[in-house]
Amino acid sequence: MSLNTTLIRSLKAPARPVWEEPPSKAGLTAKGAFLVLCCLGVLGPLWIVIVTSLSPKPVIDRVGGLVVIPQGITFVNYTELLSGGQVSRAIMVSVGVTLFGTLFSMTVSVLAAYGLSRPGTLGHRFFLVTMMATMFFGAGLIPTYLLVQSLGLTDTYLSLILPSAVSVFNILVLRAFFMGISPELTESARIDGASDLRILLTIIMPLSRAVLAVISLFYAVGYWSAWFNASIYLTDQQMMPLQNVLIQLVQKNTEAPAGLQQAVRTGQLSALGLQMAVMVLALIPVAVASPFVQRHFKKGMLTGAIKG
Amino acid sequence: MTPNAASASAFSGPSRRSFLASTAVATAAVAGGMPLLAACGGSASGKREGATSGKAADKLIPAYVASKIAQPDIPSKNGSAAGYTSKIDLAALAASVPDKLGTGASLKIMSPLWGTPPKPDCAYYKALDAEAGTKITWQNQDGNTYGEKLGAVLASSSIPDMVVVPSWELVGKISSAVTAKFMDLGPYLAGDKVKKYPNLAAIPSDAWRMSIFGGALRGIPMPAAPVPNIVPFYRKDIFDTKGYTVPKSADEFLSWAKEATSAKAKVWACGDMRWSAAGFFGVQPAGPLGWNIGSDGKLTYRIEHPEYLEHLEWVRKLFAAGVVHPDDKANTGDPTQRFTSGQTLVGNSDMSGWYGMTTEQAQSNPDFEVDGMDYFGADGGTPTLYAGQPAGIWSMIRKGASKETVENALAAANFAAAPYGTKERMFVDYGVEGTHYTVKDGVPVKNDRGVQEVNNAWVLLAAPAPYLAHPDFPEIARKQVEWQQRQGAFVKKTSTYGMNIVEPTRYATLSSQFEQLEIDFVRGNKKLSDVQQAISTWKSSGGDKLRDWYKQLLDKNGSGN
Amino acid sequence: MALTAGSRPDGTRPPAAVEEPAAAVVAATAKESVPRRAGKAGKVPFRVRWRRDRALILMTLPVIVLLVIFNYVPLLGNVVAFQDYDPYAAGNGITAIFHSPWVGVEQFSRMVDDPLFWSATKNTIVLFMLQLVLFFPVPIALALVINSVIRPRVRAVAQAIMYLPHFFSWVLVVTVFQQILGGAGIIAQTLEKHGWSGFDLMTDADLFKYLVTAQAVWKDAGWGIIVFLAALSAVSTDLYEAAAMDGAGRWRRMWHVTLPALRPVIALLLVLRVGDALSVGFEQFLLQRWAVGAGASEVLDTYVWNMGIQNGDFSYAAAVGLVKGVIGVCLVLGANKVAHLLGEQGVYQK
Repeated sequence: MSLNTTLIRSLKAPARPVWEEPPSKAGLTAKGAFLVLCCLGVLGPLWIVIVTSLSPKPVIDRVGGLVVIPQGITFVNYTELLSGGQVSRAIMVSVGVTLFGTLFSMTVSVLAAYGLSRPGTLGHRFFLVTMMATMFFGAGLIPTYLLVQSLGLTDTYLSLILPSAVSVFNILVLRAFFMGISPELTESARIDGASDLRILLTIIMPLSRAVLAVISLFYAVGYWSAWFNASIYLTDQQMMPLQNVLIQLVQKNTEAPAGLQQAVRTGQLSALGLQMAVMVLALIPVAVASPFVQRHFKKGMLTGAIKG
Repeated sequence: MTPNAASASAFSGPSRRSFLASTAVATAAVAGGMPLLAACGGSASGKREGATSGKAADKLIPAYVASKIAQPDIPSKNGSAAGYTSKIDLAALAASVPDKLGTGASLKIMSPLWGTPPKPDCAYYKALDAEAGTKITWQNQDGNTYGEKLGAVLASSSIPDMVVVPSWELVGKISSAVTAKFMDLGPYLAGDKVKKYPNLAAIPSDAWRMSIFGGALRGIPMPAAPVPNIVPFYRKDIFDTKGYTVPKSADEFLSWAKEATSAKAKVWACGDMRWSAAGFFGVQPAGPLGWNIGSDGKLTYRIEHPEYLEHLEWVRKLFAAGVVHPDDKANTGDPTQRFTSGQTLVGNSDMSGWYGMTTEQAQSNPDFEVDGMDYFGADGGTPTLYAGQPAGIWSMIRKGASKETVENALAAANFAAAPYGTKERMFVDYGVEGTHYTVKDGVPVKNDRGVQEVNNAWVLLAAPAPYLAHPDFPEIARKQVEWQQRQGAFVKKTSTYGMNIVEPTRYATLSSQFEQLEIDFVRGNKKLSDVQQAISTWKSSGGDKLRDWYKQLLDKNGSGN
Repeated sequence: MALTAGSRPDGTRPPAAVEEPAAAVVAATAKESVPRRAGKAGKVPFRVRWRRDRALILMTLPVIVLLVIFNYVPLLGNVVAFQDYDPYAAGNGITAIFHSPWVGVEQFSRMVDDPLFWSATKNTIVLFMLQLVLFFPVPIALALVINSVIRPRVRAVAQAIMYLPHFFSWVLVVTVFQQILGGAGIIAQTLEKHGWSGFDLMTDADLFKYLVTAQAVWKDAGWGIIVFLAALSAVSTDLYEAAAMDGAGRWRRMWHVTLPALRPVIALLLVLRVGDALSVGFEQFLLQRWAVGAGASEVLDTYVWNMGIQNGDFSYAAAVGLVKGVIGVCLVLGANKVAHLLGEQGVYQK
């Protein structure tokens, strides 16, 4: 396996390469200020959301909206949301669907992206066109529902995975990265008699860790935050994933008390506070997932992988 | 991740449809940006449109046998609901269903549910099945995406035995789907046949008339009081401390609003008052109810009257004067929250907000007091109000269901329609004593389990004649009924009242632009000439033809008023 | 390889008609980027190509099968664009197609005749242009800045923070903007205390297009950097080192090393974005249409929603969707052509 041009540079990130000149004071300050400003632009609103989710109901009522300055703290919104078997079961469902869905989507997408990464192969253009056309034309809900139903997928977890398993956009991004890998890396392996699958597994994929991480994240985020398929294809409420349960939990509708509704109506909980708590809960998986993804972003991890 | 009901609330924004639309938004986003969703277009197949009323309708509907159980403390008057304000003896509740009518054959019911659905085998469902003799498999669907689900399920070949159909989901072709997919209940309910189901027999005839689709009785109704359901609420506590008097005319309202507004103190007089303004100025309702034969014998639609423009111009004045809360102008956030926090002092909402806001604020803000403003005539005289339809949610049974299935479905509906003060009503509303609620000082109080399990599934199957009762806040029930009776004195019925009219679909989109136009006009984003233009376009592009269609319909069926 | 509308996909052609250049299994020249394309058209017989490429075809098939089942089969439902479709006219929604009347291009002529359609189209195009100029470059710039940060912890934190807004729902984004920029928001209240009243950026129809673009940048620009970071992580440090040795400064290295490395990705995303030009957002506009009026806020997707979905006009929605799709395909073809002219490979190879 000739990986001679491919060097895993260093797993310990170097401080500053010797060839790089020390940054100017002004440049460093400007960059720092810019980053701080960007982060503040995000953290400010996030602050408002978190503070509101932690505020007691009387405070939210008095302010009449989102709370900016904390006046008392309570975790009641979180404890209410997380207590009870329903949420924990829904978390299991969501984790399961996300794991298996991502695994499935990544498998078929990586295979297809590699299968399409060499123009000129048999059926290449046909397959590419077939895929891309789906980006521009959508089918209506009724035909899709009837199809899923006639395949017997309604009320199964497969209905949450299969209909949305393929993102053509993701495949195109993967493909672009695969195509950017220098062909000389694979050719020698090919001469040695390696099969395409072997080349994909042993050469292409190790070279593409960053983009594989990104696309996995895209798929995982998609599965984690999806709720529409579940609301249409599932009738058994016990199978609902987390997003659906959270949406149902925070819905405030005066004609319809249920779940935490009653607590909202009797003034124990603030609907706004609950909604903000749900928002914060929804951000947690991202906060957890992003270090894993970033691990694959080490600068200069690969050499010669992308054509300059 | 969309807590997409963030704007849903007691003040559900000035439009039910818009509210529903906004909650369904994420739907289309998920469906891939090309939302060819299910809301179902349709062909104008001749026999599905039209209406059946008058003598023809009377032959189709069940006989009326009033319920004798639990006489109300405040009987219905002027079309109001009946009010129950005294404590009922929970130990000696009457039974409205002497024998179990269900045979225990299994029955699948699909219904919308807002909130978290209970487990299918929960104690509440089990207990009610045991009491009613039914065996129901509930398919509780998320109320906010119910329209899509309904559209898709009706287009498939496997429709649940019984389906709850709210009127606001009857857009486009779904109205005709009702005729195509649900059975004629006449053979089971028409005339004296209904007497097998005493609680269904006690549902007022007006509501049954509204349940005729495509010339046959296809729905079991949830009756609604024909008095206005939209209440101009005001903060009585703040009015009292500030010494404000409740306005009695459109001009008074405007000058009060200017006085009460102080952007610096973060107080604005009101939210978007279009709904109330329609009452102040005597504008006819939207939809088929908007058609009326005037005293001059001419059939006209709501937008053709000068009151229509007048009420919009008045609301526009409110916006222009800066007395409307900026968040209401932008239609973001929760209007109820602004009202309860005192950022707005007046806002319109449906009747349920009265109890809802009071209970919500009872602990955290004991001073909070909401009251319903009486409708005034814009000029300070008596108002002209128009009756709403007497039913808006139905349960329906699929075509081809077996006799036993139908009878079990009707047994369930009969159980759900039990009047206030009966054993059955208690079961439906509160579940099982000890399991779902406890009695404290003669007032039932739900426990956590009751809150979780006793939800809005059974109550949608059918309901008794309109009544208002809040055991924990009997005063609210009294105020509500009294308000209804005061307003009810000024209620008129339009010629199309009580008729379930399916307009030919070629006219379906004719009036659809007006709501958006109203929203834009009052906020200053459209000019008066735009509205006038739209009205004349409406006439020329089908409105006049639609008038002829209604004329024929009313000639045939007789007028509803 | 011209992807023209009329060309039949080559997989369906008999071997003799194959015009696709194909090559020997192993390319002789190491510099050839696409070895299988070397050589002249039609030289390699079908059987040889099949034997050579069948592994790749097998790899592609699962996705194709999934797309055919879940995208193409229901896509046939779009024939209702030429009907006045009533999904309930028969036993189920499929047989109903055969019971619904055919109306030819009536739905399309309705669309062309509707001034609202054209104003929605105009808004969509203006917003797309704004997004292209004001949104598209932002993630690239952010990625470059983040990439130039050396301390791993600072990078990680900055990145993680910038991803977050992507996971805010639009309802929340609009609410937060209203709380800050609205007529009762923080800025307005502060100004009010100093005697200036009437500040309200959220209901100004003229500023609306900038407002929504700003919202989109705030929400999604941070998330958008992720693909660029992946591309940057693959740039060889050797190249930087070599450039530095040649005396190239910081900016020159960015210009001559970093940006060229990003070019293929930028070109790909740009082409896809142009193909999707008629989708500029949906929920964001629906949520704010009351604030500024339909005149300023109606875009094509909300138009379809209001005219087709809200009114239950399935056929009309399908018709507008088809037109949008056709325009999208044309745009992506055009954009790809431009990318080729500029020496990029775009979405598919020339």
